Amino acid sequence: MSQPAAALEVVHAPPFAPGHSNLVRVHVWEWPVRLTHWLNVLALLVLSATGIYLGHPFLVVPGPAGQRFVMGTVRLVHFYSAIVFTLSVLSRIAWMFLGNKYSRWDKFLPVARLRREGLWPTLKFYLFGQRKPPGFVGHNPLAGLAYTLIFALFLLQIATGLALYSASCHLGSPLKIFQFLVPLLGGLQVARLIHHIVMWLLLGFGVHHVYSAVLMSMVEPTATMESIFSGYKFVPEEDLVYSGYRYIDRKTDAGG
Amino acid sequence: MNPRPDWLLSELERRGVSRRDFLGFCGVMASVLALPKSAGAAIAKAIATTEKPTLVWLEFQDCAGNTESFLRAGRPTAADIILDVLSVDYHETIMAAAGKQAEEALHKVLAEKGGQFLAVVEGSIPTGANGAYCTIGGRSALSIAREVCGQAAATIAIGTCAAFGGIPAASPNPTGALSVADAVPGLKNLINLPACPANAENLAALVVYYLTFHRWPALDSYRRPLFAYGKAIHDNCERRAHFDAGQYVELWGDEGHRTGYCLYKMGCKGPVTYQNCPSVGWNGGTNWPIGCGHPCLGCAEPEFWDRMTPFYRHLPNVPGFGLQTSVDRVGLWATAGVAAAFATHGLVQIGKRLARGVPPSEERADSKGGQR
Repeated sequence: MSQPAAALEVVHAPPFAPGHSNLVRVHVWEWPVRLTHWLNVLALLVLSATGIYLGHPFLVVPGPAGQRFVMGTVRLVHFYSAIVFTLSVLSRIAWMFLGNKYSRWDKFLPVARLRREGLWPTLKFYLFGQRKPPGFVGHNPLAGLAYTLIFALFLLQIATGLALYSASCHLGSPLKIFQFLVPLLGGLQVARLIHHIVMWLLLGFGVHHVYSAVLMSMVEPTATMESIFSGYKFVPEEDLVYSGYRYIDRKTDAGG
Repeated sequence: MNPRPDWLLSELERRGVSRRDFLGFCGVMASVLALPKSAGAAIAKAIATTEKPTLVWLEFQDCAGNTESFLRAGRPTAADIILDVLSVDYHETIMAAAGKQAEEALHKVLAEKGGQFLAVVEGSIPTGANGAYCTIGGRSALSIAREVCGQAAATIAIGTCAAFGGIPAASPNPTGALSVADAVPGLKNLINLPACPANAENLAALVVYYLTFHRWPALDSYRRPLFAYGKAIHDNCERRAHFDAGQYVELWGDEGHRTGYCLYKMGCKGPVTYQNCPSVGWNGGTNWPIGCGHPCLGCAEPEFWDRMTPFYRHLPNVPGFGLQTSVDRVGLWATAGVAAAFATHGLVQIGKRLARGVPPSEERADSKGGQR
C-alpha cells in the first residue's frame, strides 16, 4: 500500500529515539466514518439507557394514567434512536464499499494475506509478547476482526429490534413486514433475550474500546484518540510504504 | 345425518334456544370475526341452510382442557350452539359409545364422509418409543392422526399442545411430542387454534366462518386465524394506559395491583402473545386473566412453555446460569467485571510509572511504533 511520495506531508522529525523516521500526517478517517462513529456512540448510549428502562421500568409515576406518558416517551426515544442507529450502521456498511482504503470492508474481514498474517503479531503485541505494534495505519487486522464481530452484533441487534417492533407497531405500519424475522429468530421471547444479551455485550465492548483507545493513544505516537475527531493520524513514514510489514517477522517484500 | 334445510332451527328449538338468542349469537360471531354488524344476518341465513357438517374430535396427549373449555360454558354460547349442533360423530371424552362401537363410529365417518368431514385434534402427538406413549385401540396417536387427518376436508389443531407441542413438548420432551403440523406434515387446510385452553368462541367463529363462506379465514405465518390472533394482547389490553404512563404493579397486592396497574413487571407476556382475550374474554365474556389481576402467561404462543417461563419474570432464564438468574443480572456483572479489569490494569500502569519515577511524557517517547 504505497502512496506517492508527493502525497506525504512530513510534519516534523520525531522527538523519539534516534534512527526513527519522520511522522507523516495521513487522512485516515473520512467524515462519513467519523460521523457514523459518533452517531453510533450517541445512539448506543441513548438506546442502552432507554432500553434498561424498558426492561426494568424503575420510575414511580403517580397521577392519572391518562395524563402520564413516561413509558410511552421512553419507547418513543428508543425508537427514534433506533432509526438513527440503523441508518448510521447501514451507511457505514455502505461506506465500506465507497470510502477510502482505510474504511473498506477488507480492513474488517482479514481475507488478504497481509491482514491474516498481521493477526498474530498484533495479538502478541497486545499480550506484551512483542514491544512494537505491527505498523498498520488504519485498523490493525485484529481490531478489524473485532469490529466485524461488533458489526454482526449491530445487525443482530437491529434485526431483533425490528422483530420486536413489528410485534407492537400498528397494523398499517410498513415495519410490520419485519414480522417475518420473528420465527427466524426463534420467537419473540428469544428475540427479547438476544436483544438484552447483545446490549450487554456492546456495553462491555464499549468499556474495552474506550480504554484501549486511550491507552494506545498514550503508548503510540500516532494520535489514535485524536484521529476519530480530526480524521488524521500521524504515522511513521515507512508504515505507508511497508504497511504492516515492519514488525511482521518475515521477508520484507513490499507492496500490497 | 340430517339434510333438512331447517335442521338448525328445529335443533335449537328442541334445546330451548330461541331464534332471538340465535340471532344474537350470529351477531357475536360477526364481531369476533371482525365483520360488520350486518354480516350477522348473512351468517344466520348461511348456518340455518347449510348442510350439517360432520366433525371428528381426536384427543391425544393432553389434559382434555380444550374439551372442558367449551363443555363448561355457562350459558348457551357460541360453543354450545354450534359445536353441539355439529354432527360430532367421534369424540373420545364425551361420546356415549366405547371400545368397539366407538372405533366403528370413526371408521364409518372415514368410509362415508372421506374428504368432507372436519377433524379437530386436541393434544400433542408423541413420537418417542414408536408412539407407545399414547395409543388408542392399540394404535398409536401418530398413525391415527395420519389416517384421519389425511382424509379430512380440514384439520383444526385446537389448544397449544396440538398447535405447537405445548406442555408435553416442553424440555426435555420425554415422549418426543410434536404438534400436528410437525407430526403429520403436508396436511391440507390445517388451522391452528392455540391457547391453553383454546377459547371456544374462536373455535365456533372459525366453524361459522367456514359454514358461511365455504372457505377458511386468513391465517398468519403460524397458521392461526388472523381474526383471533392478529393482535398482541398488549395492544388491546384494558391496562395499556398504565403501561404507557409508566405505572406498574411492583408486588402482589400492593397499591398498584389493587388499582389495576399494568402487570408488565410481574412478568406479563401480553406484549409477545397474540390472541383476542382482551376483546372476547373467557367464560362467556365474564373476565380474563389480566382482568382479574394476573399477568398473561403467553399460553397461545409457539414458545409456550419453555420460553414463557418463569411466568413472573420478563425474560426467559439464561441457560447454564442457574434457574433464577436473568440475562440482565449476568450482563450487569459481566460489564462491571470488564470495567473493573480495565480499571485495575490502568491503576497498575500508573503505579508502575510512579514507582519508576518516569513522567508520562518521557514514557511515551520510550515506545515508538505503529498504530492501533
